[in-house]
Amino acid sequence: MSDDSIRDKAGPQHQHTETVGAHVAVHEEAVHHELPFWRHYIFSTDHKIIGIQYGITALLFLLFGFSLMMLMRWQLAYPSEIFPWKWLADLLGPERMPEGIMLPEFYNQLGAMHGTIMVFMGVVPLAVGAFGNYVVPLQIGAPDMAFPKLNMASYWAFFVGGVIMLVSFFVPGGAANSGWTSYAPLSVIATTGQTLWLIGMVFLITSSLLGSVNFIVTIIQLRAHGLTFMRLPFFVWAQFVTAFLLLLAFPPLEAAGVMQLMDRLAGTSFFLPSGLIVSGVPVENSGGGSPLLWQHLFWFLAHPEVYVLILPAMGIVAEVIANNTRKPLWGYKSMVYALIFLGFMSFVVWAHHMFLTGMGTTISAFFQTTTMIISIPSIVILTALFLSLWGGSIRFSVPMLFALAFLPMFGIGGLTGLPLGLAPPDIHLHDTYYVIGHFHYVVAPGTLLALFAGIYYWFPKATGRTMNETLGKLHFWGSFIFLNGVFMPMFVQGLAGVSRRLYDGGIQYAHAQEVLYLNEVMSVSAWLLGVAQIPFIINFFLSMKKGKKVSDNHWEATTLEWSATTSPPLAHGNFAKVPEVHRGPYEYSLPGHRKGFVPQNERVEA
Amino acid sequence: MIATTATKGIALSLVLVCCSFAGDITGKVSFEGAPPKAQRLRMDADKVCKAAHKEQVMGEEVSVNSNGTLKNVMVYVKEGLGAKKFEPPAKKLIFDQKGCIYTPHVLGIQTGQEVEVLNSDPTLHNVHSLSKGNPSFNVAQPKQGMKLTKKFDKPEIFKVKCEVHTWMGAYMGVFSHPFFSVTGDDGSFSLKKLPPGEYTVEAWHEKYGTQTAKVNVGAADTQSISFTFKGK
Repeated sequence: MSDDSIRDKAGPQHQHTETVGAHVAVHEEAVHHELPFWRHYIFSTDHKIIGIQYGITALLFLLFGFSLMMLMRWQLAYPSEIFPWKWLADLLGPERMPEGIMLPEFYNQLGAMHGTIMVFMGVVPLAVGAFGNYVVPLQIGAPDMAFPKLNMASYWAFFVGGVIMLVSFFVPGGAANSGWTSYAPLSVIATTGQTLWLIGMVFLITSSLLGSVNFIVTIIQLRAHGLTFMRLPFFVWAQFVTAFLLLLAFPPLEAAGVMQLMDRLAGTSFFLPSGLIVSGVPVENSGGGSPLLWQHLFWFLAHPEVYVLILPAMGIVAEVIANNTRKPLWGYKSMVYALIFLGFMSFVVWAHHMFLTGMGTTISAFFQTTTMIISIPSIVILTALFLSLWGGSIRFSVPMLFALAFLPMFGIGGLTGLPLGLAPPDIHLHDTYYVIGHFHYVVAPGTLLALFAGIYYWFPKATGRTMNETLGKLHFWGSFIFLNGVFMPMFVQGLAGVSRRLYDGGIQYAHAQEVLYLNEVMSVSAWLLGVAQIPFIINFFLSMKKGKKVSDNHWEATTLEWSATTSPPLAHGNFAKVPEVHRGPYEYSLPGHRKGFVPQNERVEA
Repeated sequence: MIATTATKGIALSLVLVCCSFAGDITGKVSFEGAPPKAQRLRMDADKVCKAAHKEQVMGEEVSVNSNGTLKNVMVYVKEGLGAKKFEPPAKKLIFDQKGCIYTPHVLGIQTGQEVEVLNSDPTLHNVHSLSKGNPSFNVAQPKQGMKLTKKFDKPEIFKVKCEVHTWMGAYMGVFSHPFFSVTGDDGSFSLKKLPPGEYTVEAWHEKYGTQTAKVNVGAADTQSISFTFKGK
């Protein structure tokens, strides 16, 4: 039996689920034993393996991107002082750290690549590639993704893109150094690393496009019988909307990336203006291009991208909160509508990143208005999540701690964005550390904490073992405290007007003098944040082998990935019996029910 | 290894042959007319640069000496050496950034010769070469005492500048032979130990461009030529 025929029969329109389930089981037996190691674990088409591949790769990239930032923080706290780890300075070489002193060119590479790696190779692949791939088919009762081979292609395109980005550190002039936004014309005249950055981005974007098509088709076509849209777990909704954002927002950047490649390699001038003079020398190009066009194309991607980073995180938090409060989500439908509205609105706010480009007041007024409007659905979702806690019998499990911390952290991130969304305060705050603080609160203490919640929550599902709780709590408290130690002072520095792009942390500027001491506070916090990840790394690997074995439904959850399959799920086909859904996703603590929760696939109420 | 030793041997014999029957070209570069008013370099943007000078610092674009000669003119053999090869000297040249000024303002370099770019200032300088034949480089030196060694393979004259301190500019001239000289405070130059032959000698100035002269040099001969640049 082909994959396609299994999928067809497992779709929501088919009634004979038990027969199909039997076929799937037989098929699983047959295929499981036939696949050689490299087909099973390396070039796998199984969504679970691909999800884990995405997860491991993304975690490694997150660690690498974080390490780049820890290096930067040395330079910011102790400008041009000799790096204490001589072996590392020697390893980095005289072109980056001669005699242990970090060169500005290397600092610029670290900055650009930290942003690129964390966003495109860390958070998105973890939030969408890993969690989406692993959890969505299980939550909707599907045997796999709709297009398993496309799924594999998506991972490998991501992998190749990531390798190209890493290789770029070793070309003459080093990696890309024009910021993660790669603004033209700076990026067009930058060193060779920028060319590799663009090629790498083309691969990463291609990967996202393949993935997004797959998610959309899977969620529409492969839901189990009875799983209507309003019965979908909120996490699936979040992935569904995210997939549309990826599908619609990424192509403009892919086109822009190819155009910038042409500017660099083929002598075109899409982004190079006429009369461009660099270092006092006129640039030999035809001219007539627009540097602002790049900014528009970039932010047309990058603002929806913010929601690509945050929506899956909200989805994870919603699952964990419902499960650990033992209550239905408060205002589930409102949350879903807010999510859809947020997805639409995310396409019409991009130019609030560009208030200082000289756009007219009319356009500026439009984008200020849309930016204020988009805050409403975010607040609806966040408020609903907060209210879901009210009156709940909260289990303070490790995933719940991370999920709870997400709420105020994302709140701070969101609320500090409001002044940036209005042009007058943005004149003062633009390009200062305030902006860095704002968006990091959204994606680091915000999204990353939620992603950790997801790892602790679904780890037992993927491995059949639970992660150590003491190490988990150590990881949580260390991360929570030091994340705030890194990012809270940035608001203070930003309000004082310290630019975000200073290689020496601002020592040359009079207005920065009173807040300079914060550089050291932030750097020490960043390094301690690194130390706080050690319990997680130990826990992650140790628990795979030594973790306490758990039952199939460790968290006593209602959604299908817990209630309808084993932990870990069957290698192929996921479910021994294709589940049928009879109720909404969060039927916890129903009055008169002994068990305290009713899984979605339970026909008769217990 | 053997090939390298042989090459060195041939080069050494060439030098020996040439120098035992060699001649010199000497001369001065004069300046006529009114020199443009020297521009004051304002270093207020960086307190380190400002503190390095007690008196006003003037730009070196046109430096006319008290004897009416022109400083910072690079004089070199442009044609006449054929395909002769010359070993780069072992002596390392120093290109210093001191008081937020490049010293020297014009530097002649032989291909393959090492140039040590030194930052003597307790502030950040970036050294940006606007070279075209040789790979352009743009490297920062954030700390006092930092050094960077460079070599150049292609003959050309190019500007070097610092984007942090926009008044800082200097020129490097790279030549495939050792017959070049830069005029100093007396405006004189000398190209020594040239093999006998007919040469085209060129004088280059950053503002006034180039002038050439033809010279016949005999064995153990000293020829004198002069150049005159006119102010506008």
